[in-house]
Amino acid sequence: MVRKILVSIIILTLFIGASQAQEIEKGDVFIQNAHVITITDGVKEITDVWVKNGIIHQIGKQLQVPGDVPVIDASGKFLMPGIIDAHSHVALGAINEASSPITAEVKMEDVIDPFDIGIYRALAGGTTISHAMHGSANAIGGQNITLKHRYGTFNPDELVMEEAPRTIKFALGENPTRVHGRGKNLQPRSRMGVEAVIRNGFEEALQYKESWEAWNKVKDQKNNRQVPPTFNSRLETLLDILDGEIIIHCHSYRADEIYMLIQVCQDYGIDKIVFSHVNEGFKVAPELAKYTMGASVFSDWWAYKFEVYYSTAYNAAILTKNGVITSINSDSAELIRHLYHEAAKTQRYGGLSDEEALALITINPARQLGIDQWVGSIEEGKQADLVLFDKHPLSIYAIPQMTWVDGIKYFDREEDKTDQRLKVDPEETLEPMFLHADHINCMSDVDFYFTGFGRNLFEHNH
Amino acid sequence: MNFKDLLIPISVSCLFLFILLTQPLFGQSDRNGERRLGSSYVITNTTLIPSPGEILQNQHILFEEGIITAVGKDIPLPAAAQEINGDSLFVYAGFIDMANKTGVVEPTLPEKPEGFDPSKPMPEIAGIHPHFNVTEYYQQSNPHDKAWRKLGFTLAQKLPLGKGMLPGTSALVIYGQEGKNNLIAEHQSIYFKFSTVGGVYPNTNLGVMATWRDLIQNARLYKKHQEMYAANRNISRLEKKPVLEALIPVINGDLPVLLEISDELDIRRALKMKDENQFRLILTGINEGDKLIPLLKEKQVGAVLTLKLPEDPSSEIPSGDKSEDFETRMDRTKEAYKQSLALAGKYEAAGIPFALTTKHLPRGDFFKNLQLMVENGLSKDGALAALTVNPAKLLGIDDRTGTISEGKMANLLIMTDTLFTEGAAIQMVVSDGYVFDYSEKPEKGSKEETTWEYEAETQGGKSTGTWKINLSDGKWTGTITYEDPQGQGMKTSSIEDAVITEEKMQFSFTVSVGSDKLDVEVSGNLSEKKFTGDMKIIGYGTFPVKAVKKDKPEKSNG
Repeated sequence: MVRKILVSIIILTLFIGASQAQEIEKGDVFIQNAHVITITDGVKEITDVWVKNGIIHQIGKQLQVPGDVPVIDASGKFLMPGIIDAHSHVALGAINEASSPITAEVKMEDVIDPFDIGIYRALAGGTTISHAMHGSANAIGGQNITLKHRYGTFNPDELVMEEAPRTIKFALGENPTRVHGRGKNLQPRSRMGVEAVIRNGFEEALQYKESWEAWNKVKDQKNNRQVPPTFNSRLETLLDILDGEIIIHCHSYRADEIYMLIQVCQDYGIDKIVFSHVNEGFKVAPELAKYTMGASVFSDWWAYKFEVYYSTAYNAAILTKNGVITSINSDSAELIRHLYHEAAKTQRYGGLSDEEALALITINPARQLGIDQWVGSIEEGKQADLVLFDKHPLSIYAIPQMTWVDGIKYFDREEDKTDQRLKVDPEETLEPMFLHADHINCMSDVDFYFTGFGRNLFEHNH
Repeated sequence: MNFKDLLIPISVSCLFLFILLTQPLFGQSDRNGERRLGSSYVITNTTLIPSPGEILQNQHILFEEGIITAVGKDIPLPAAAQEINGDSLFVYAGFIDMANKTGVVEPTLPEKPEGFDPSKPMPEIAGIHPHFNVTEYYQQSNPHDKAWRKLGFTLAQKLPLGKGMLPGTSALVIYGQEGKNNLIAEHQSIYFKFSTVGGVYPNTNLGVMATWRDLIQNARLYKKHQEMYAANRNISRLEKKPVLEALIPVINGDLPVLLEISDELDIRRALKMKDENQFRLILTGINEGDKLIPLLKEKQVGAVLTLKLPEDPSSEIPSGDKSEDFETRMDRTKEAYKQSLALAGKYEAAGIPFALTTKHLPRGDFFKNLQLMVENGLSKDGALAALTVNPAKLLGIDDRTGTISEGKMANLLIMTDTLFTEGAAIQMVVSDGYVFDYSEKPEKGSKEETTWEYEAETQGGKSTGTWKINLSDGKWTGTITYEDPQGQGMKTSSIEDAVITEEKMQFSFTVSVGSDKLDVEVSGNLSEKKFTGDMKIIGYGTFPVKAVKKDKPEKSNG
C-alpha cells in the first residue's frame, strides 16, 4: 500500500521482530491406534498418525513404527485436531485502547503475555490456537494476533502463528456507543453513529492515500514544491482493510447492525469479514452465508445486556444449516477450557452431526482466521496441533489427555503439576485465592472514570 | 551486617584525622562544604582505588579548582594546598546515579480546553513532551541530593517528571556546592517510559507503541521538510512541532533513548522498538529477565539495573493454616527472590558493563541492597564499577569522571575502610572539588530509643501492647505495656535483662496478678523491623509473639 511507496524516504520496519525471532520448536510423535476424528475426512478407526518435524507426515492403519520417535498408545482414545478459539483475550497484557472510537493502528502483538497461566489451562482443554483480540470498546479496534499455545516460552513472539493473516477488531452497538458516546460525548452515540464512524474512517483513509500518491509522484522531481504529508498508521491500516489484506472480526449482536456492516463492506468492496457473537445472526443467516466469512457465536450466552435479549441456543445450528461458516468461541479464559462442551450443545439444540458440531471448534474457526490450509483438521501435510481425549470429545464425560502443538506435547494429564506457573513474583508468599476467575473480556482496560454513569451499567462482559 | 551503622559516623579517632594546615585544630566536621578556605587540597598517604580492582598504597591526591591535578607517591605538594591526612583512609571515585529524579518537580501542563476530545489530545496533555528540559524543573538545592551525597553520590542523571510516555530530556548534575549552578550537561537523553496519563489517547501500552511508531515516522518526514525548506525558497513554511523536533536527534543517532522498564515484557517491547527504528537505547530499571541478557549484549543495549530489590518473602510468612502446596509455592517464591538478587551478578558474568539506579530506592536500603547483590554473585569490583566507571561510560563522561586520575573531576568518596568491610564508614565526600566532611561522631549521651508494637497469642486470646526499649551508656532498658490480666486496662512493667543483637532480642519482665507474680521471658529473632519469637510465662507455657518496630518513617526518594 502507501507503506510500500514510502520506503524510499523512510527506512521502514520490514524486519519487525526478525532479529528476535528464534527457531520455533517442532516435534516428532507417533500416535498409535487412535479413533482419528479428521473433521474433513470422517472418523478413522484404529489408525496411526505419524508426526514428523511438527507436520502430520502420514495417517494410516498399521503403519510401521519409525525409530527414535516417541510412540503414544492411543488405543480406545479419540484424537482430534487442536481446538481453535476464534475469539479470545487470553495471554494479553492489555485488551482495549478505549481512548478513541478508531484505534486501527494498535497491535495486540505488542502486548502478548507468554506467562499467562490461561494458555496452559486452554491447552488442558484441548485448545491449541486462540485469536487474541482487541476489546469491543471502539467501533474499529486494534489489530488482533493469532496465537499458538506454545506454553513455556518466555518470548512473546514465539507464541505468534506466523502464517496467520492479519485481522482486526470492529465493534457495533452498545459497547462503542456507551464508551465514546455516553461516556465521553463523542461520536458514536447511536448505531447510526457507529456506521458513520466506520464510513468516515474509510473515507479519510482514501483521502490519505491520495495525498501520499500525490507526494510520491512529485517527491523526486526537480523543483518539487510539495511538502511531505503526515504519516498515520491508523489510516494506513484502514487502507490495508480496503485492500483486502486484513480480515475484519466484528463484535455484533443485532441483525440490523450486522446487515448494516455487510452493506458498508459491500460499498467498499470488502469481502473479508467475520461476525463475532452474532446473537441475532439466525435472522440474517442467508446474508451472512452470501457476503461474509461467517459467524463466530456463543453456544448459549445471552441477556447480559439489552441488545443481547433476542437470542437462541439454536443459533449455531441455524447458521450452519444455512451454509454460514460457523464457529463457537469462548471470549473467556474459562470457557476456552471446554469448548468441546460448547460444541456439543448444538447437538441438543439443533441436532448437528458429530462432524458439524466439531467443525464449529476446528476447521470453521480456522477458515475464519484464514489459517485452514495449515490447521483445523487432521490431514497429511498440516501442522500437528492435536488433542487426545479419553472418550469421544462430544461426550460430557470426555477429558483431554494430551495436547500437542507443532508435534510438541505441551499438556499431559499424567504430568500435570500442581504449580504450572512460568514466572513467580518474588514478593508473593501466597498466590491470592479467587473463588471465581474474573473473566478477561471485551471491556477490559476501559476507563470508566470519565463517564458520568454508575459502574453497575458496565458489569457485563461481552 | 547492619549497614545502617555505616551511616552513623562512628569513630572517635576521626577527630584526630584531619589536621588542616591553615587551621590546625579544626575539629568540627563540615557537612555542607561551607568552610572552604581555598580550592586546593591534597589527600596524603592514602590508599587509593583509582578504578575497580586497582589498589595503590601511600598515594597523594592533589586537586585544585575541582580538578585532580596530580596523583602519585612523589608528587610535589604545594604549600597552599590544604592537607587531608589520608593515612588509614581509602579513596574511591565518587558514585554516579542514573535515572534519578530527586529534586525534580512535575511540569505544569496546559488546561484541557472546553469540549475537550480525549481521543485527540494535544501532545502535552497526553504526556508526550520530549521537548521539556528537566533543568527547568530541577531544584538544585534540595535535601535529597545532599542526603545521597552523604552516601557517596557525586553526580546524577536527572530525569524529567511526567505521567506519560515522553516526559522530556535528562540532564547531568553534580552534587557540588550549594548556590553554584551545578549543571554538567543538558538534553543528554530522551526519557521514555511505558506509562500514560490516563483518560486520553494513548491510554495503554497498545497506544504507546503505536504512538511511538507514528512519532518516529513523522519526525523523519519533519526532518525531510526541514531540509527542503532550508534548501529552497518556494516551499511552504514548516509549522513548528516541538515534539517532532525533539525526536530528530534520536533518529539521527545523536541522542540515546533512556527507556524505563518495569518487567521483562517491557524489555521485549523496547527491543522491538529498537529493531523497528534503529536508535541508541539504554534500558533503566531492569529488575528481572536474565534470559534476555545475551540479547541485550548482542544488540549493545545500555543496561541500568535497579537497586530496589524485592522484599524477602520469607520475612512475611502468613500465619494460619497453610494449604498442602504452601511449601512448594514458598520455595518457588524464594527461588524467584534469589534470582532477583542474583541478576546483577549475571549481568557482570555476561560482560555487560551495567550501571545502577537509585530510583524508587529508600536511602536506608542503599548499602544493604548493594551488599545483597554482592552476596549473590556480583563481585565487589563489579559493584564499584556499576556505581562509577560504568555509568560514566554510559553517560559519555568517562573522560571526566568515574575513575581517579589526573585531569578528572575531583569527585571522591573517602572511607574509613574498604567499601564492603563491616564497620566501614564514609568519612568525606569530595564533589566538584568541594569537600563534604561527614566525620562527626555521635553526640555524647545520645540515646537510641525504639518502640515496638507486639501481639502475643495466649490461651486467653490475643494480647497486644508496646515495648519501649532504650540504649543508654551501652545498656538496654525499657518498659512493656500489657492488658491487665484482671481486666483493669493497660499496665506497665519494666524490662529487665535485655540483650539485643542484630539478629536476636531477649528480655524478661514481671506481671503482678493480685498478690502473685508471673515471670515472663521473651526471646526471638530480629530482622530489620520485625521480631518473631516466644513469650514464656514461667509455669504456664510458651506462646508465640510478634512485634513490629515503630520508628520515625525514613523518607524515600520515591
